[in-house]
Amino acid sequence: MPQLELVATLEGHQDRVWQASWHPTKTVLATCSGDKTVRLWAPISQNDFSTWQCIDTLEGAHKRTVRSVAWSPHGNELATASFDATTGIWENDARDNSWECVATLEGHENEIKSVAWSSTGALLATCSRDKSVWIWEVETDNDFECLSVLQEHSQDVKMVAWHPTQETLASASYDDTIKIWKEDEDDWFCVDTLQGHTSTVWSIDFNAKGDELVSGSDDKTIRVWKMYEPNNTQGIATPYGQPVWKTVSTLSGVHDRCIYSVAWSKVHNHIASAGGDNVIRVLAKDSETLDDNAPSWNVVASVKNAHGVHDINAVAWFPTDKHGDWLASVGDDGVVRIWRLIAD
Amino acid sequence: MAFSSALTLTDLNDYIAPSQACIKPVEVKKSDNPQGSSEIKVDDQGGYYEISKDGGEEKLEQASITLNDCLACSGCVTSAESVLITMQSQEELYKVLRANNDGSQPHKTIVVSISPQSRASLAAKYQLSMIQVHQRLVAFFKHHLGVHHVFDIAFARDLSLVEGAREFIERYQAYLEQGGDALEKQWQEQQQQQDTSAPRSHRRQGGRAQQQQQQLPMLASSCPGWVCYAEKTHGEVLPFISTTKSPQQMMGSLVKDYLATKTNTRPDQIYHVAVMPCYDKKLEASRPDFFQEEFNTRDVDCVLSTGEVDKMLTEQSVDFLQLPDVPVDDIFNKVGLDPVTQALTAYGTEGSSSGGALEYILACAAKQLFHMDSVSTANGRIVIKTGKNADFKEYFLHADDGRVLLRFASAYGFRNIQNIVRKVKSGKCSYHFVEVMACPGGCANGGGQLPPQQLDQVTSVAVKDWVQHVEAIYRTCSGVPPDANDAIQAVYNEWMQLRSPDHVAKLLRTQYHAVTQNLGNPLATKW
Repeated sequence: MPQLELVATLEGHQDRVWQASWHPTKTVLATCSGDKTVRLWAPISQNDFSTWQCIDTLEGAHKRTVRSVAWSPHGNELATASFDATTGIWENDARDNSWECVATLEGHENEIKSVAWSSTGALLATCSRDKSVWIWEVETDNDFECLSVLQEHSQDVKMVAWHPTQETLASASYDDTIKIWKEDEDDWFCVDTLQGHTSTVWSIDFNAKGDELVSGSDDKTIRVWKMYEPNNTQGIATPYGQPVWKTVSTLSGVHDRCIYSVAWSKVHNHIASAGGDNVIRVLAKDSETLDDNAPSWNVVASVKNAHGVHDINAVAWFPTDKHGDWLASVGDDGVVRIWRLIAD
Repeated sequence: MAFSSALTLTDLNDYIAPSQACIKPVEVKKSDNPQGSSEIKVDDQGGYYEISKDGGEEKLEQASITLNDCLACSGCVTSAESVLITMQSQEELYKVLRANNDGSQPHKTIVVSISPQSRASLAAKYQLSMIQVHQRLVAFFKHHLGVHHVFDIAFARDLSLVEGAREFIERYQAYLEQGGDALEKQWQEQQQQQDTSAPRSHRRQGGRAQQQQQQLPMLASSCPGWVCYAEKTHGEVLPFISTTKSPQQMMGSLVKDYLATKTNTRPDQIYHVAVMPCYDKKLEASRPDFFQEEFNTRDVDCVLSTGEVDKMLTEQSVDFLQLPDVPVDDIFNKVGLDPVTQALTAYGTEGSSSGGALEYILACAAKQLFHMDSVSTANGRIVIKTGKNADFKEYFLHADDGRVLLRFASAYGFRNIQNIVRKVKSGKCSYHFVEVMACPGGCANGGGQLPPQQLDQVTSVAVKDWVQHVEAIYRTCSGVPPDANDAIQAVYNEWMQLRSPDHVAKLLRTQYHAVTQNLGNPLATKW
């Protein structure tokens, strides 16, 4: 059985850590916290990954908790989303290697829960307790133009995630649904509403190809959804000529408490999940799955009390095969941990 | 939510208590009772009484929120805005009509003012022309219900347009004097650089806001959805908003000041109803700035949406199509005989269904500031560019030598408002005037307009084309500019004589108030 081995423990944040985001190319991890800062971490040497240091602290731009952090796809900018209802865009000044907040996106009425860059870096999405999802376009000069304000969720929107290749957005909400959004001529609209969870959907992630989506919910289940295009061979109806998403796998009994985070590795296709039961689990698709429309997923590795008695708020896989077996986890204990999935 | 084993009691609450976001300051009256304790008694009718130490009972006031308090901040105790908005409804009009009939209250002169956008919406549903709709509404209100006058908001709109243009020109000239001319030269140079495809270089210099004390850009003021949102969330842009009254409130002043004085009627003896394309106009009518303390009356007493008027037709069992073509009122209307057909026709204003402020101010400014008499897209002096979406357009006034003299824009809908506000706040707004409207598609698509209708087989209109259809009908009223409207000029002159030029000048303008969060509000404390 594979195992999750602890590689390093990163301490320094003064309050609970909410999210982690790996740099797209370098071995650098960004984490954001209730202490209103973002910290950048890197190993002290390329030979020994057991000791990491905080190479930078981004502070001063937010008046409240930084809830979400995301690297732009080219790795030259960081977006930080805060409970103070603003999103900061940071750039690194190469001359003195300092980080500067070059733009502040305002507009949300209250706490922003998540920020995400589209795969090309041309668009940015934010979502908030004000039930709306905002889509921004990145212009030259660090000017961000609001393209659309989507208000179809009936409750707090917890997370936004972009499709790995297309300009399609998914959002997860306290209203128990996931919505898929696309652009059409003039404006963005909801293409599909994924219903099935019986409580808040906290986290979503696409697989590498973007034809499947995993979701983790307060109802203690993980659902794997599959996209069916119009004229699909399985005979799934696609009204409006748009793809629809259907649950192909519901995993219950894997966690005893709410699931706060799910992450689908783009390298080896495993799903990591963590939440209120303090356990990190890694799931793999059963290689003997006969029917892709009803796959089985099994737990292959787990770590109990990964952050002691504290909730685990987020897990994030390393994005490339340089360290594809690495998983970062952050928790209410204010600590960041890096794990390695060892096959046996 | 299940507690984790650490039992950390933190901010677990996703529930938004309505009072948290309430911006209405609550007065906490200090009690006379030195001991501080009191007993509350509830009687069987649900009335609350405070029992003081000596046994005396004092009936406690019921806390209430009226439409006057409402700024549509969505943080209200009565979170259903619809509850507040029904305080201005056709029921109120029926009450006043009944009181007139049975003499239970002093007689009131009832006046109804109809907006062109509402007419267009009804015209689209009933497949009539604008003038036919107006005549039938006259028949319905005057002859069927007993209203005394039916007026056309298009008449008052001319006053709003003229005053708006006057304000813009004043502000533009002040802007030039305060360093704006240097800025304009800078924009010209950048424009030329861009035209010769030079790469866009460094960030534009100089926050405009600091230099010219917030004269420009001038932002349109006739949309109460926009104004209320700016007051609540973006107080810093309030100085940029035009202080000219909207057409609805211009009509309010015309009716309750000019007409009242002329006919020797007290303003509170007039009941003024406005028929409008949206519900935010009800909020506008109940603003304290439009309340005459002296007579305890509002300039506009009641706003009915197009949908509510349509409902009235059903409630009164009136077949709109069967109503006759009756003559319109002889004042406060913008109608005339079409020179070609010699038939009665309603006139309008150039521009979109949001009232044409942009087009008129652009034409006026071209004439008065740059001495250009005829400007249009036809002669190349006006160039219109559609932005990222259909609700954002830029209008450029070009001199004959190609220089861009004026930069205007129209921004409809929330996302475009966000972009304009952001640009204004950061000093990067290059426009001189922006027509800001809350509803995508303009007022033809107002929240109170009739929904897309199933018409007959011959003229079916697809649901997604409905708003354009209404807008097209709206534009069938050919534009007669305010300058060519002798009637409004005559009324204006007479008004200045009846009252005084200063008095009238004040009545044409209004002001705005930023909503500040009262952090001392005890109801807002989170336990």
